[in-house]
Amino acid sequence: MSDPRIDEALRTMLPRLRRFALWLVRDPSAADDLVQSTVERALSHWASRREDESLRAWLFAILYRLFLDGKRRATRYARLLGSLRGEEPTWPSAERVAIANSTLAAFAGLPVEQRSLLLWITVEGMSYQEIADILEIPIGTVMSRLSRARRALRLLGDGGVETPPLRLLK
Amino acid sequence: MTTTPPSEHDIHAYVDGHLDGPRRGEVERYLSRHPERAEEVHAWRQDAQQLRTLLAGDLGVTPSQEAAMDPAAIRLRRHKRRVSRAALAASLFLCLALGGAGGWAARGMGTGSIAPMADAMQAYQLLAVDHGVGMDITTGNEGDLRAWLSGRVGATVHLPDLADAGFRPMGGRLFATDQGPAAMVLYDDGNGHTVSFYVRPPGAARHLLPRGEREDNGLLANYWSDGWHNYAVVALADAAGRAAAQRVVVRSI
Repeated sequence: MSDPRIDEALRTMLPRLRRFALWLVRDPSAADDLVQSTVERALSHWASRREDESLRAWLFAILYRLFLDGKRRATRYARLLGSLRGEEPTWPSAERVAIANSTLAAFAGLPVEQRSLLLWITVEGMSYQEIADILEIPIGTVMSRLSRARRALRLLGDGGVETPPLRLLK
Repeated sequence: MTTTPPSEHDIHAYVDGHLDGPRRGEVERYLSRHPERAEEVHAWRQDAQQLRTLLAGDLGVTPSQEAAMDPAAIRLRRHKRRVSRAALAASLFLCLALGGAGGWAARGMGTGSIAPMADAMQAYQLLAVDHGVGMDITTGNEGDLRAWLSGRVGATVHLPDLADAGFRPMGGRLFATDQGPAAMVLYDDGNGHTVSFYVRPPGAARHLLPRGEREDNGLLANYWSDGWHNYAVVALADAAGRAAAQRVVVRSI
């Protein structure tokens, strides 16, 4: 694939990547940075991409791993500083107010992996096999994790339960 | 009719609308006979539908965001970074090369290679002009001077035998230098001209001088090395001084 065609293929994916990044990092400028890093990595690793692999799944996988790496680094850093709080940071209160819809609020309250899973499957419409490839887990595990994610979303959306039950469900 | 519940995969596929044909029918039949399960599955469908609708609005990207994330722009930035990294590497290499070359050129700087045996000439100026005032040892005996030199500068110091050439030793004086203790022995050529014989260790860097001579400030210095020490013969840079120095040098090397 020539450079302009690669660029064009990546360009069509940008809005989706940014939406995913936004729901991962919960901060617009951090999301932009994450997408930029993803595109950079995609460009430098383009040759290593399997031809049969869907571009969307490949890019989501890159973005997700970059996010997890960054989160691990931040956690280590926070631990170094001795200021480690909860594993899952909560939404800033202003944004909590902004999320009027209960389903959306519940979605925002899910752990990162459940949020990613639901976005990939229900919003992006990706196949279960693609998800299995991204997370590097068997397809059966994708199914059981998806069930847990859907129940968690229900629970949060319906009962207005804050977050603790999720810990048990994980 | 079977009562086996559909697989987890089929339930999700049904929720996500991926299931068609007979398997979809099976799931629907199963759910119609299990209302509590049906309620959950339909709620899941609703949630999925809602999420799709709600998150559709997040696809908007402003032109400036788009510009920052554009692959072509990122490709260009990467290229520039690579070029500037290469330039940085090149300039680092150049710095190292220049520094190395400079260091090589400057090797021995401060050990007197710029003005060889300048200390010998200063010593001459200090004492010979006053014809030997302020000596550490005053003796006309070359044997005494040899013993004095070997004890203070080094056993391998070679003091020339100049008596038969008409030179008369006047005495010696020690100097402290960065390379170690140096000594100067003054001779009178018998016509009132003073010639100095100066010896200094090469120092830790073992900086040995090549044979050479130079004039500075009315003084003439001949210098050489015997492999252990650096030597200089200093005299006034006039005809008589030159002739006297020449006679000393010939007998010294």
